Amino acid sequence: MAPSVGGDPAAPTDTAASQSAPDGSSKAAIDGAQTSKTSAIASSGKQENGVANGETKASGAEAKKRAKAEKAAKREREKAERAGAGGTAAGPQASEQGGQSSGALKPTQNQQKGQKDRQGEAKAQAQAQTSSKDAKASHKRTGSVSAANAQRPLALRRRPSQSGGQAKESKQIVKEVGLFGHLYNQPRRYTIEGASKAVHPAVLALGLQMSSYTICGSSARCVAMLLAFKKAIEAYSTPKETSLPRHMSSHYLSPQIDFLKTCRPISVSMGNAIRWLKDQIIHIDPDTDDGEAKAELCAGIDQFIRERITVAGSAIAASASTKIKPGDVILTYAKSALVEQTLLRAHEAGTDFRVIVLDSRPLFEGKNLARALARAGLRVQYMLLSAAPHAAKEATTVLLGAHAMMSNGRLCSRVGTAVVAMLAHARAIPVIVCCESVKFTDRVALDSIVQNEIAPSEELLLPSAAAGVADGGSLAKWKETPGLQLLNIMYDVTPAEYIDMVVTEFGFLPPSSVPVVHRISTERDVRT
Amino acid sequence: MPSALAPPTPSLTTYLRSLDEAPLDKSITTLISLLKRRQIRSSRSCALATTKLLIRVVEAGEDGSDGKWSSTQALIAHIRTVGRKLISAQPKEIVIGNIVRRVLGVIREVADRDSETVADLSGSEISGPTSPITITGERSVLPMRLSEFSPRDVLSGRPGTADSVASSTFSSPAAAPQQRPNLMTAPTGTSLFSILQHPQTQTRSTSSPYATPPAGTQSPALRPSPTFKSTISTIPEGGESLDIKAEVLDGLAELLDELSVVDTQIAESALEHIHSGEVILTHGSSRTVQRFLLTAAGKKRRFTVFVAELYPNDHLAVHDTLVNGSLPPVSPEDEGLGEKGRWKALTAAGVTVVLVPDTAVFALMPRVNKVLLSPHAVMASGSLLAAAGTETICLAAKEHRVPVVVLAGVYKLSPVYPFDEEGMVEYGDPSKVVGFAEDGRFIDGVDVVNPISDFVGAEGVGLYVTNLGGCAPGYLYRVVGDHYRNEDIELGRD
Repeated sequence: MAPSVGGDPAAPTDTAASQSAPDGSSKAAIDGAQTSKTSAIASSGKQENGVANGETKASGAEAKKRAKAEKAAKREREKAERAGAGGTAAGPQASEQGGQSSGALKPTQNQQKGQKDRQGEAKAQAQAQTSSKDAKASHKRTGSVSAANAQRPLALRRRPSQSGGQAKESKQIVKEVGLFGHLYNQPRRYTIEGASKAVHPAVLALGLQMSSYTICGSSARCVAMLLAFKKAIEAYSTPKETSLPRHMSSHYLSPQIDFLKTCRPISVSMGNAIRWLKDQIIHIDPDTDDGEAKAELCAGIDQFIRERITVAGSAIAASASTKIKPGDVILTYAKSALVEQTLLRAHEAGTDFRVIVLDSRPLFEGKNLARALARAGLRVQYMLLSAAPHAAKEATTVLLGAHAMMSNGRLCSRVGTAVVAMLAHARAIPVIVCCESVKFTDRVALDSIVQNEIAPSEELLLPSAAAGVADGGSLAKWKETPGLQLLNIMYDVTPAEYIDMVVTEFGFLPPSSVPVVHRISTERDVRT
Repeated sequence: MPSALAPPTPSLTTYLRSLDEAPLDKSITTLISLLKRRQIRSSRSCALATTKLLIRVVEAGEDGSDGKWSSTQALIAHIRTVGRKLISAQPKEIVIGNIVRRVLGVIREVADRDSETVADLSGSEISGPTSPITITGERSVLPMRLSEFSPRDVLSGRPGTADSVASSTFSSPAAAPQQRPNLMTAPTGTSLFSILQHPQTQTRSTSSPYATPPAGTQSPALRPSPTFKSTISTIPEGGESLDIKAEVLDGLAELLDELSVVDTQIAESALEHIHSGEVILTHGSSRTVQRFLLTAAGKKRRFTVFVAELYPNDHLAVHDTLVNGSLPPVSPEDEGLGEKGRWKALTAAGVTVVLVPDTAVFALMPRVNKVLLSPHAVMASGSLLAAAGTETICLAAKEHRVPVVVLAGVYKLSPVYPFDEEGMVEYGDPSKVVGFAEDGRFIDGVDVVNPISDFVGAEGVGLYVTNLGGCAPGYLYRVVGDHYRNEDIELGRD
């Protein structure tokens, strides 16, 4: 029996058994076989494909597997006993023969689950038949696995191709947080592989910059997108049969937009800009020459950027900076270009105030703001969001930036903004939001869950250096831990009650006036 | 485990190990330096170390050679001295003061018990309330007015009546002028202990209208002082001191036991608070919370837990706990089992665990059914001292009407009223926020602050679950009264 077991190097399970058989230790044989068996079951979430390589696993966590196998064996034994598979229970005999035969049996069953090569299978089957009697006689082992296997006929229950695959699949699905399940289909793209040929290189580059947070922030992304579209438009030429207004929008611009959407979900400002641009395109006189039309569009884009973002920004900075009085302590969160402009403007005007910048992981945008302000000579304190109550104790005004203003007056901004607004509101500190009208939207939001952006969970893993451990800390194993999920949302919605004032290029507004202003600003664009 | 070449990193484990061999003075200074350097961090570790050290102090006897104590007065004075040193080593660690006061309470209870038996023997002589050791050493004037009466004393089951105002005055320095003499004094009590302390000023006893102890309101932890008192001259001191030591050590062993079973006891009420399909928000790597949730999960309740990771101070411990399971606490018997003794991870028990950054707390709160927190310390007013980020969670929960449940053993409950809220907050290493190596110029130009703890007012908490059961924040004073003596609340200054 021993030579036949050992004489099949192809099957890893046999090899495991054969490695232990020469020792003459039946227990080791069983262990080796057990590990291969349990690894074949593949239900513990360790990385396994259905073709579980018993020996690779066996060499690893053998002790753990032994315990698991014993448990599994006990279960099967009870089942077998309940099924009345004959009480051929001989006493626990640690006979080598029995060990080896059971070792042979296990490869049989494992292989019948469809993994190993035919030869070993056939051999093992032959052995199984001859040795089954012996196995039954001496099925009792300390691990008791042999009993169950001896009495049970062929493995009907599990086939690793089925169970392994299914188990793995269900585990993988569990990595999405249930509440946000509807948001996980937002793609993220980090390479230009598979991009449509129609996408302009400038747009390709922009897409990658956005998905890697090189360009981050609502206004910045909007401007960058429009500039990239300018380049794309300049490279455009109308096909003969059709005219620019009809063709460009749907056949040229759309692939660019779709590509950007696959890199990272677009912001509200980008959406409004696209809508405006498409509107511009449609209103071009079909008779105008291509070159002229393109120049007109590019000039229009320039004007849009200038009016709705640049000039609007400086107007907002000017008005908001009047709200900063000497001796103020301004509290802000993450990085908003508008807030930075406001603070620098107030500082240039000579007002004496200091700033507390709150920040959070994983993006740490506030660090850049703090650095820029410190460089300009402001007195800056930097804290993480967990210190927000301490910051709020000293603050006199809170200045926040926006990703979007919803039509029910709620502010959609970087996740954590709602926390700052809530703490400020609890202490009756005025909360001022600086937001251009290009960020206003028709949509309404009641919570941060229905509409949001989910970033890949991997961004929450600590960079190795920060974790202080080479392998990135315990969290690096989060994928193998079933039931553990990481949530990385990008935005949250601040209730309108927490916001005292919205500063736009049209002036100071209460949050409830947002839909009115939005209508005015879109109508104005449509009219021209 | 430590090699001969490098001494092991000082920690609770090494300290407990050294406690048996090292001389007492050295042990005290070692603990003081561990506390100062914050090498012992969590509440439970500090409580354990303090308890064990005080046990050693009691064992060592008055002369330090395992002898007997001449009187409970001497023992109490000694404990107070040691306690003062420990508290001043780390004043922001409230639990140290709690343990010192518990130990003092145990000693006083033993003394009361003994004097009861002695009183039966030697007859009775009613004496009025006298005050125990005061800072200035002067007897306090007994408040005589009804307005000075505090219901606390009646309900706390202690016959202390005159300590009514004094107990409130020690906690409110701006007391009414008529009580000015009481300001710096510990509250008076009508316990026998006071007689043991100042036999010579026995003559000053005056009867207070409130001398009668209330009937029936007995606290489980401390028995009320006897109504009959005897003069100290009739108490044989020599014979009783041996008993005192043994009995005090018994009481302290019970205290040590309590520290080790506190998690299990709190977890007993887990099923009363968690239902199937619940969504719970918690934070940090607290073992109490883990045990609580594991108990419910073990009874096959399927729920989801959002864990806020408390960056930058506790997030590594949180990650470790979520992935690998909680490290068991260093218990009095076995000094930690290390990796092998880890508890099951919540995920392994069938719970869905979602790790969220601290920023997402407000965004998720509308969908959370319950918030579960574990503090560093709880004040008698119901407010708590917890990890930074707790106030955000509590306020967000309040805004969304989500109940906040705080799990805290009684050892975390402090009788001291928190007047200086800002002063209780501990600040930590700013390099955890932005490292010097990472960005030196940034640190140069910007002031980086890293608070470790938050102070949360009582209105932020809905329910306290202690090892004695659940209670509302407004009821905590009663639990405080059960476990601490008024005379111990003010430990004086060095």
